[in-house]
Amino acid sequence: MTRRVSAGHAVLAATALCVIVIAASLSIGPEPLGPLHLLRQWRAGESIEDAAYILFSLRLPRTLAAFLAGAGLALVGCAFQALLRNPLATPYTLGLAGAGSFGAYTALVLIDFGRLPYSVIGVPMVQAFAFLFAAADVLLIFLVASRRARPTPAVLLLTGVTLGIIANSGIMLTRYFARPERLIDMDRWLMGGVDIVGYRPVAVLAIGVVPACLWLLTQAGKLDQFGFSEEMAAGRGVNITRLQLTVLLLGSFITGVIVSEVGPIGFVGLVVPHTVRAFTGAGHRLLMPVSLLSGGAFLCLCDLAARKVPVAGEIPIGIITTLIGGPFFLYLLVRGRFADWET
Amino acid sequence: MNRCLAAESVAFAYEPGAPVLRDVAATVRGGAVAGIVGPNGSGKSTLLRLLCGLLEPGSGRVTLDGRPLASFRPRERARSLAFLPQGVQPVFLLSAFEVVCLGRYPHVGALAGPSSHDLEVARRCMRDTATDDIRHRSFMELSGGERQRVLLASILAQEPELLLLDEPTAALDIHHETEVFTLLARLAGDGYGVGVVTHDLNLAARFCDTMVLLSREHAVAACGAPEAVLREETLSAAYGARIRVGAHPFTGTPLVYAEPPEGAP
Ligand SMILES: Nc1ncnc2c1ncn2[C@@H]1O[C@H](COP(=O)(O)OP(=O)(O)O)[C@@H](O)[C@H]1O
Ligand SMILES: [Mg+2]
Repeated sequence: MTRRVSAGHAVLAATALCVIVIAASLSIGPEPLGPLHLLRQWRAGESIEDAAYILFSLRLPRTLAAFLAGAGLALVGCAFQALLRNPLATPYTLGLAGAGSFGAYTALVLIDFGRLPYSVIGVPMVQAFAFLFAAADVLLIFLVASRRARPTPAVLLLTGVTLGIIANSGIMLTRYFARPERLIDMDRWLMGGVDIVGYRPVAVLAIGVVPACLWLLTQAGKLDQFGFSEEMAAGRGVNITRLQLTVLLLGSFITGVIVSEVGPIGFVGLVVPHTVRAFTGAGHRLLMPVSLLSGGAFLCLCDLAARKVPVAGEIPIGIITTLIGGPFFLYLLVRGRFADWET
Repeated sequence: MNRCLAAESVAFAYEPGAPVLRDVAATVRGGAVAGIVGPNGSGKSTLLRLLCGLLEPGSGRVTLDGRPLASFRPRERARSLAFLPQGVQPVFLLSAFEVVCLGRYPHVGALAGPSSHDLEVARRCMRDTATDDIRHRSFMELSGGERQRVLLASILAQEPELLLLDEPTAALDIHHETEVFTLLARLAGDGYGVGVVTHDLNLAARFCDTMVLLSREHAVAACGAPEAVLREETLSAAYGARIRVGAHPFTGTPLVYAEPPEGAP
């Protein structure tokens, strides 16, 4: 057996990690200022207007957005891996990222050709389309699954993967129709980014992600049962159909909101749960909250790297997470086993 | 109180027009081992799923102490009867102790973790099944016999009064097979009601108090005491094969043997 850390230590370590990373994210940037710096300036009676603007209008919303997105993606990763009984399941394996991106691209092309207003009653159409297409992806998965007597995890997974491939073709198709000068904007979206300004995206993320995440956390005990044996879980009183429905819908909703606000950011739902599981074991009552915290911290850290890597401008965060996540995943494969998986 | 789980003239079909059970009756009573036997595909596992309320019969009814099983809330039902399916394949790496703790699910609130009382029950169930020594080992690294005993501890941790087990001795050697059945007989002696699906008619003859024999036609071919069920004509018809029954040289219980098909070398 792998040695595990105690529940208290795991939560404590994850919380400490979050505090440190968030503090760093607020303090580090092109301008040398942080909360402490600000306090010192204020005590010295200097003007802090510029510093406060940078801190509260630029760095804080960005940090919060990265944290919320990372936390949501990691939590959904945990839940989907148990629900699909597969270590490769992530929010994106079900085609959600592909579908969301396809939606965003469709909106961009339609706007470009004057067929779609940029926003309708204040809702940006790119985000709305990303969300609607992701929702349609889940709906299709359900339609396929409900045609069968009992939707097995394998059927759900294969349907999602297939829809993801179809969505990628859709993306190619919209690229084909797009004006060449538009392709740069479009591709930038596909790389994901938390380079937001102001609190509207943060509010959308908070309202969309936080309640759904709390709800998802309540399914931990049932996911433990389901991961062990579907039939035994049913025998012990877990309503399997309701569990599948709840987790899929909540997971897709969380992912849909995140993809629509910050674009597809890959590998968070894979790297974080697998790393955390090695410390906490596979019990979801501990794994899920610790993954949530660590996912938030991880994406904040990636965002910091995106800002600090010395190149012109900054690197899109989706590229950073993939550059970290890809090799990490290969390492897991080479080592021959995923921590705490029966593979 | 002596619990009684009964299926009364139940019929079931997964697909319309292809019945898997026709007019079947079976009873599992506290203090006794009830064996469910029959050829492959005769509907034994299906009958077990009906008995533990995972499937609803198309007609007929399943009752627990006279009350329709469907009227129980699922977790309430799970505190009375526990189900051990065939071929449990966990996807997560768990220690034997963690596996047994999973059995506390019907007693633990949705948000709360297991309490110290729950952990104590789990330990007690492991001692009862002689698995306490291996509680820290990884479940999937255990031998088949150890794994089966841990699973048994895990359903005992539900603190049920009735146990329904689907082929708990499949893939076990003769020693471990007997070990599992001895444990089941002991549990029945302690007052548990046990319903067990098995292919080993000789073990069933030795350990079961009552038996139900399902036929290839998905109906009850015989039921009652092992001696009444394990008869040459009945078995041969139910299995569609030439089956011989003698007496066990040491125990005197029926000894069943399938003849090769006629004309075979
Ligand atoms: N989930 C299912 N869906 C459809 N048919 C099934 C299902 N499970 C079992 N069957 C069919 O029902 C029949 C009885 O199966 P089962 O109860 O598993 O028999 P046994 O356990 O006696 O071998 C078989 O023909 C099998 O193919
Ligand atoms: Mg069977």
